[in-house]
Amino acid sequence: MTEAVSFQQEFKVKGGDFSRGGEASCEIKNLLRDLGLDPQLVRRAAIACYEAEMNIIMYAWQGQLDLLVTPHRIRIIAEDKGPGIADIKQAMREGYSTATPEMRELGFGAGMGLANIKKNTDTFRITSKVGRGTRLELTIKTNGRKA
Amino acid sequence: MNKENRHPLHINTKKCVGCVHCMTSCPTKAIRIRDGKARIIGEFCIDCGECLRFCPQDAIDSHTTSFSDLNAFKYKVAIPATVLYGQFDNATLPNEILFALRRVGFDSIYELSTICELNSAATEKFLNSHPRPRPFIASTCPVVVRLIQRRYPTLIDLIVPIEPPREIAAKILRANLPRVLKVKPSDIGIIHITPCPAKMVSINYPVSMEKSYLDGAISIRDIYKPVLQALRQSKDEAIMSRLFPETIFSGLGLGTALSGGETRGLKNRRTVAVSGIQDTIRVLNQVEMGMLRDVDLLECMVCPDGCVGGPLAVENRFMAKSRILRLVSLLGERSVVDDSDTNALYQKNFMSFTHSLKPVKATPLDADPVRAIQKAKHRNRIIKQLPGKDCGACGAPDCRTLADDIIRGLALLTDCPFMMKEKK
Ligand SMILES: Nc1ncnc2c1ncn2[C@@H]1O[C@H](COP(=O)(O)OP(=O)(O)O)[C@@H](O)[C@H]1O
Ligand code: SF4
Ligand code: SF4
Ligand SMILES: [Mg+2]
Repeated sequence: MTEAVSFQQEFKVKGGDFSRGGEASCEIKNLLRDLGLDPQLVRRAAIACYEAEMNIIMYAWQGQLDLLVTPHRIRIIAEDKGPGIADIKQAMREGYSTATPEMRELGFGAGMGLANIKKNTDTFRITSKVGRGTRLELTIKTNGRKA
Repeated sequence: MNKENRHPLHINTKKCVGCVHCMTSCPTKAIRIRDGKARIIGEFCIDCGECLRFCPQDAIDSHTTSFSDLNAFKYKVAIPATVLYGQFDNATLPNEILFALRRVGFDSIYELSTICELNSAATEKFLNSHPRPRPFIASTCPVVVRLIQRRYPTLIDLIVPIEPPREIAAKILRANLPRVLKVKPSDIGIIHITPCPAKMVSINYPVSMEKSYLDGAISIRDIYKPVLQALRQSKDEAIMSRLFPETIFSGLGLGTALSGGETRGLKNRRTVAVSGIQDTIRVLNQVEMGMLRDVDLLECMVCPDGCVGGPLAVENRFMAKSRILRLVSLLGERSVVDDSDTNALYQKNFMSFTHSLKPVKATPLDADPVRAIQKAKHRNRIIKQLPGKDCGACGAPDCRTLADDIIRGLALLTDCPFMMKEKK
């Protein structure tokens, strides 16, 4: 019944815009904290958002994070228009990365992003169409909250 | 929020003209203008002193220890921050400054650079025996500790659990002075001389120990003039102090007044040094997102360029920095602390935190999760209604914060002058 109560907000992410990298996930982090969620849970969600946000910035043209919070879970849909991923299995492998030397210079491209997203979420679904874009659907269970 | 006010900074309502300089400079959005005067919300304040820096009216008082407070002690001991050596002209040597402090009224002065070096050596030992996690974060700047407790609770275990040099120094003195001087422990007052108001909080309300070993902190701002006078009056003493240098200074330790100083002593370590409140917030965000895992020690100082940029220092930080760098190069990299001493103290946990740091939970929009969600939605609706000019006329630093205040029952929509117009 309480699941009917939900908070939803979209955060636009622009491809290539490294200077604002992390802003959306930072905003999401603050929001989840305002909702009184457990700090470890907030951190897991923030890490997942951050990795998804940076992937859009690094590899896609434009995209968004769509956050939905209900009393029992956090759902994040990260969707982009971009080159897509031809071999998802390969992309998921820890250490696999197509990041450019410039990106590595900035400290990205360890090839851990997607794996980290999976590690920090309770459900993880990834779909992608080459030449069109990529979509991640993530959820984290919050199970209400201890006051 | 009706707790006693634990913060050293207070708005002087006689001088405050209600301009918005402090409010917009506060990194945690802790200031509001109410009835034409600035007000600090204690729950959000991290004692960084940014507001004090930006106030054009000199209307923010810092409640640090005053000279008259010293009269409570028969025997007065000063532990000046090494920043003090950068405050006077190029010709004034540290020894002369220590002499001048004695003239100002202290019975003895203990020089901190050696203990700064000891602290670095202890940190190195800690890193050696703790290969994981990474990065550890230095605990010297009390504002960083407070910031992490409040905004980055998941990073608390990364803070190096070693007390800062000022506390280690005071602890050594407490253990030895009563015996050496044959004075009652309660008659001895150990006072830090500080470039920042935050030390006052860490002394009065310590978070990593039961009770601070220090009795107070006098600001450099307050002690500057008397010391300058003493320096002028005591030319002969100056000559004496030059001919008979009685104190050993550590170049490595002295450098800790500057950003990067703490990490400089750690020779074989990957370190990152960050200074300034905005860059500190940025790097802590990155650590929280799992970055900097290949870094052994992260040093954050919330003041620009480190403690030389402290809000209660007198000399501008560029001059102070240049003088300290000169002293550091004069003294060289020679270590003055014996490794066996460091070992002995480290093995005894003499320098370790005795209390583990606890996170300080932020007040959620509502204690009830369902209502918190409803309030977050409501807040977004208000944000859409507001003009988005972030003008500060409502008394909040920006429209978003006003919306937050409204939801928390601390402000009204009509506090925004643009909303008033629409209502009419
Ligand atoms: N949104 C995306 N669009 C296109 N390619 C992507 C996207 N996200 C990830 N990839 C591909 O998957 C690889 C692995 O991603 P990730 O695990 O985040 O590691 P990293 O970003 O460090 O390379 C990337 O190098 C990239 O080739
Ligand atoms: S000391 Fe820092 S946190 Fe506190 S009110 Fe001033 S600017 Fe804000
Ligand atoms: S950087 Fe130094 S002077 Fe500034 S608040 Fe921290 S400890 Fe104080
Ligand atoms: Mg990635």
